[in-house]
Amino acid sequence: MDKTTIICRCEEINCEEIEEAIGHDARTFDDIKRLTRCGMGPCQAKICISLVADVIHEQTGSHLHEIPLPRMRMPISPIKLETLATNSTTFSSVKSVMDEVELEEGKVR
Amino acid sequence: MVMETDVLIIGAGPAGLAAAYETASRGLDVTIVDESISKGGQLCQQTQILRTLPSPFLAMRGYELANTLINQLDEFSVRYLLGHRMIGTYKDGSIGITDETNVFPVNPKKIIVATGAAEKAVPFPKWTLPGVITVGAAQTLVNRDFVTPGKNAVIIGSSDFAMDVAIQLSDVGVNIIGIVESLPKILARDAEKTEHIMQRSIPLYLRSSIKEARGNGEVEEIDIQFPDRIMTEKVDLVCVDGGRTPILDAFYQLGCSFGFQEELGGWLPQYNEFLQTDCKDVFLAGNAAGISSQGALLITGRIPGVRVCEELNIISKQEAEHERASHWKELENLEAKLFPEKWEARLNHIKNYANPLLKDQFIS
Repeated sequence: MDKTTIICRCEEINCEEIEEAIGHDARTFDDIKRLTRCGMGPCQAKICISLVADVIHEQTGSHLHEIPLPRMRMPISPIKLETLATNSTTFSSVKSVMDEVELEEGKVR
Repeated sequence: MVMETDVLIIGAGPAGLAAAYETASRGLDVTIVDESISKGGQLCQQTQILRTLPSPFLAMRGYELANTLINQLDEFSVRYLLGHRMIGTYKDGSIGITDETNVFPVNPKKIIVATGAAEKAVPFPKWTLPGVITVGAAQTLVNRDFVTPGKNAVIIGSSDFAMDVAIQLSDVGVNIIGIVESLPKILARDAEKTEHIMQRSIPLYLRSSIKEARGNGEVEEIDIQFPDRIMTEKVDLVCVDGGRTPILDAFYQLGCSFGFQEELGGWLPQYNEFLQTDCKDVFLAGNAAGISSQGALLITGRIPGVRVCEELNIISKQEAEHERASHWKELENLEAKLFPEKWEARLNHIKNYANPLLKDQFIS
């Protein structure tokens, strides 16, 4: 692996960019995500999670068990908003996404 | 409409089906969700013979085991939601399931999460070129889709699974240019597989790794790095085996704690001897509870199944304890002999139940 090796294929973030973020004191996956967009593409970090942990481990010497998991958000995998919003008035709202919007007669306000 | 069920099982692979048998055969109402349109999970494309299976199963091929596990559920009350997936949880604790048109809540008494494992990527310069795939993807293309993924292939990794896939690719006429292993020895435990590879005159390259792939729009050439030289080979297929890791998203949404066991695949949900997480009604089974052999996975489906029946008062405490002891004995027989480091990691993981490394991760 060299500096040009892609780590996050969705957002095309290479090893050098991850190392630069670590140089700015990034120590967790979420730190690196906020600085580089690593893990923010369609796969939502499913592919790069272990690659990023390996780079953090190599650069900082942290053990893998000291590098926490990234935040995993709803929806677990991509879904159409139209599908997500079906029937939403008839039952309890979805944790995490729907508590940020109000529902009125089945429509997002 | 809220769907009510006794047991909701996420994943219709071997562990999910084994958990379904334990619960449905004792009369519980069981619902199984799987994103695929067929049952059996990754077993369906395993054409190699699985030798170390728990009783009552004799050695058989993976797809035969899948059919056996599916057929033994025929006579019981099992609702299959195929082509469905879990997308998250609702505030009231019910599980959000989608069929890609609607989202609806399922309100189970108990959940058994058997989401399995994901293959890890292996990075090297230009590993994102088309033609670079995982060994699992290569196997799926050949055995499920009847598609030959390339003509000239190199395999990266020498685990039992990588060897199986090398043999299966070779069987359908793919020319295997070599098996590349960074360690000084072959990782496969089954010596018979290595023998098969030797008989086919497939070169095994130890202490070697991929330095770089090259190609215009697809992989055309790779450099294999040896301690003293570099070898360039023309290939149109690179199959990488980076090992596997438990799939954790569902556990995260459910609010479970996590621990770390390298031998079991890294981060995994914290669980006790009942294969129960620290969320009272959430259990787990299979590779999600630690990467192991097919035989061991079936037992890790039975253990939470028994506990669910006990908690729902379908079987007595004594019967459950008896069943549990025999399942753990069998798990030890299957796992401790073949993968002693996995067995030890599993016992360590259970010991850490009260002290997870990561907890209270989920914030709305």
